[in-house]
Amino acid sequence: MDVNFEALLPELLLTLVACGVMTIDLFLPKEKRGLAFPLAFIGVLATLAAVLNLYGQNLTTLDGMFVVDRFAVIFKIIFCVAALLVFAVSQAYLNDDKDVPHGEYYTMMLFSLLGMLTIASSRDLIAIFVALEMISLPAFILAGIRKYDIRSNEAALKFFLFGVLSTALMLFGMSLFYGLTGATNLADISAGLAGRTDIDEVALLAILFLIVGFGFKVSAFPFQWWVPDTYEGAPIPVAAFLSVASKTAGFVGLFQVMFLGLGELADMWRPMFAVIGIVTMTFGNLVAIQQKQIVRLLAYSSIAQAGYMLVPLGVASATDGALNTQIIFSVVAYLLVYAFMETGAFAAATAFGRKTGKYLIEDYAGLFGRSPALAVAMAAFLFSLAGIPPFAGWWAKFVIFKTLIEGDGLVLAVIMALNTVIAMFFYLAVVKKMFVDKSEDTAAIAMPRSLAGAIGIAAIVITVGGFLPNLFGQLAENANFF
Amino acid sequence: MQGLIFLVVAATSGFAAVRLVTNKNLVHAALYLVVTLMGMAIIFLLLTAEFVAWVQVLIYVGAVIVLLLFGLMLTRAQIGKTALDRQQRWVAGPVALVLFGVTAPVLWRFFDGRTISLDRQSGNTEALGTEIFTKFVLPFEVVSVLLLAALVGAVFLAKKD
Repeated sequence: MDVNFEALLPELLLTLVACGVMTIDLFLPKEKRGLAFPLAFIGVLATLAAVLNLYGQNLTTLDGMFVVDRFAVIFKIIFCVAALLVFAVSQAYLNDDKDVPHGEYYTMMLFSLLGMLTIASSRDLIAIFVALEMISLPAFILAGIRKYDIRSNEAALKFFLFGVLSTALMLFGMSLFYGLTGATNLADISAGLAGRTDIDEVALLAILFLIVGFGFKVSAFPFQWWVPDTYEGAPIPVAAFLSVASKTAGFVGLFQVMFLGLGELADMWRPMFAVIGIVTMTFGNLVAIQQKQIVRLLAYSSIAQAGYMLVPLGVASATDGALNTQIIFSVVAYLLVYAFMETGAFAAATAFGRKTGKYLIEDYAGLFGRSPALAVAMAAFLFSLAGIPPFAGWWAKFVIFKTLIEGDGLVLAVIMALNTVIAMFFYLAVVKKMFVDKSEDTAAIAMPRSLAGAIGIAAIVITVGGFLPNLFGQLAENANFF
Repeated sequence: MQGLIFLVVAATSGFAAVRLVTNKNLVHAALYLVVTLMGMAIIFLLLTAEFVAWVQVLIYVGAVIVLLLFGLMLTRAQIGKTALDRQQRWVAGPVALVLFGVTAPVLWRFFDGRTISLDRQSGNTEALGTEIFTKFVLPFEVVSVLLLAALVGAVFLAKKD
C-alpha cells in the first residue's frame, strides 16, 4: 500500500520535534534546562509551516483513514497557533515556578499537540479514538506536573478518572457502530447506516455513549465536573491549553463523527445537542456569577462557551447540506475567535498572578492604575468573551445566532441571547473592578517579553478581527467537508 | 458446545467482575481480575481470534496483574480492609444497574439471532498482522508514540527529584 508522506509531513515533523526536545533535555546541565522552550517553539513553527504548505490541497492516504483537506488544515493551523501562544505564556510561568521541569512539560505539550494534528485528519473511528487518547494522556500528566502540590495532584486525578470513564463509554459506543455496520471508516459507516430502519434503539444508545466521550472533551454538561478543579489546580498555561486546544480537538472529533459518519441519523442526535448545549451554557453562566477566583471564573465561562458552540448542532439536518455547511462554518468561526480570546484571558491572569500569587477577582481592583496596558488587554478579552463590540467575540456570537435562526431554532437563539445577558454580569464585574475600584497596592505588574507578546498578539487579533470579521470568515468558510 | 462453554465462561467472569469491585481486600480484587481477564481470553478463543487471546493472556494476565500486585506490595499501600473505600456503593450500584438494565435488553433485542461467519482466516495472526501494518498502520504508530508519552510521564510522576 502506498503511503503519501507529503500528507503526513506535519505529524512526522512534530513527532521528531517532541522526541528531540525530550532527548536533548536529558543531556542539558541543570541551569540550561530553559532551552526546551526555544526548541519546542521553533519546532512548532516549523510544523506550522509544513501545515500551511498543505493549504488548499486534497490528499487522501492510508485507505482513506488519513485525509488532508481544508477542514483538516484549518484546524491544524488553529492547534499550532494556540500551542505557540500557550508556549509563550508557559515560558514566563515556568521561569517563576521552579517545581515544573521544562523538558517534560514541553514534551508532553508537543505529544498532545501531535494527537490534535492527527485527529484533524482522521476519518476512521479507530484513528479518532487513538488520537483522542494521544491528546488526553499527556494532558493528564500536565495537569499534575506540579507533583508536590496537592491541588495539582487533585487536578490530575479528577481529570484522569473522568477521562478514563468517559473514554471507555465512548469506545463502547464506537464498537456498537462497528457492530451495526461492520466498518470503522466514517464514510463506510455512513453508507452502512443509509436506509436502515431496524437500528433505532441500538443507534440511539451508541450515540449517547459517543456523546459522553466527546462531552467530556468539550466540557459539556453533565460531563464538566472536572473542569473547575482541574483548571484551578493545574498550572494556568495548562488550563489555557485544555480550555482552548483540547476543547477544539473535541469539537473536531464531534464534527467528523456526527456529520461524516452519522449524518444519516441527524434526526436522532439533533435534539440531544440542543438540550445539552442549552443546559451547558446556562449552568456555566449561572455558576460563573458566584465565582470569586479568576481561574474558576474562566473555567465556568469556558463551559458556557462550549454550550454556545454546541447549540448549532441542535439544528442540524439529515438532508439539508447547505444548512450543515452553515453550522460547521459558524462553529469553526467561533472556535477561531475563541482560541485567541480565551488564551488571551488566561495569559493575562498568568501575568497578574505569576509574581503576586493572587488569583482572586477582588485583587484585580485598581489594575488600570497599576498596569494600564494589562488592564485594557484583559478588558478586551472579557468584552470579547461576553460578545460586546468592537471585539471579535460579537461577530462569532452573531454568526451562531444567524445559523440558529436559519435552521428554525428560534427558541435556542432566544435562550442563548438570555444567556449572553447573564454572562455580561460577571465579565463586566471584573472589568469594573479593574477600572473603577481603587487599590492600596500601586506597584506596576512586571511582565517578561514572551508573555507580553502573547497577550499583545491575542489582543490585536481580536480587535482587528472585530472590525474586519471577514478575515476569520474566509478561513472558516473553507473549513468544510461538504 | 460452544454456547455451553460461552455460558460457563461468561458467568464465571461476570461473577468475578462483581466480586472484583465489591471485595474489600485489594489483593483478592487483583486475583478476581485475573479470572475476569482469563474469561475474556477464552471468549476471544471461541471467536477464533487466537492471537488476541494470547495477547490478552500475556499482557493483561501476565504483565499487568503482576505489576499491580508488585505495586501493592512494594509501595506499602494499605492492603487491609476498608482502605480506599469511599462508601459510595449506594450511588455506584444503582447507576451501574440502570446502565446494565438499559443497555442489555437493547443489545439483546438487536443482536439476538444474528450470526457472523467465523472463517479460520479472519482472526488468525497473519491476517491480523497484515491489517495492522497496512490498513491500520496510522493508529498503530500513534499508539506507539502514545506509549512513549505514557512511559515518560509515568517515570516523571513516580521519580523523586
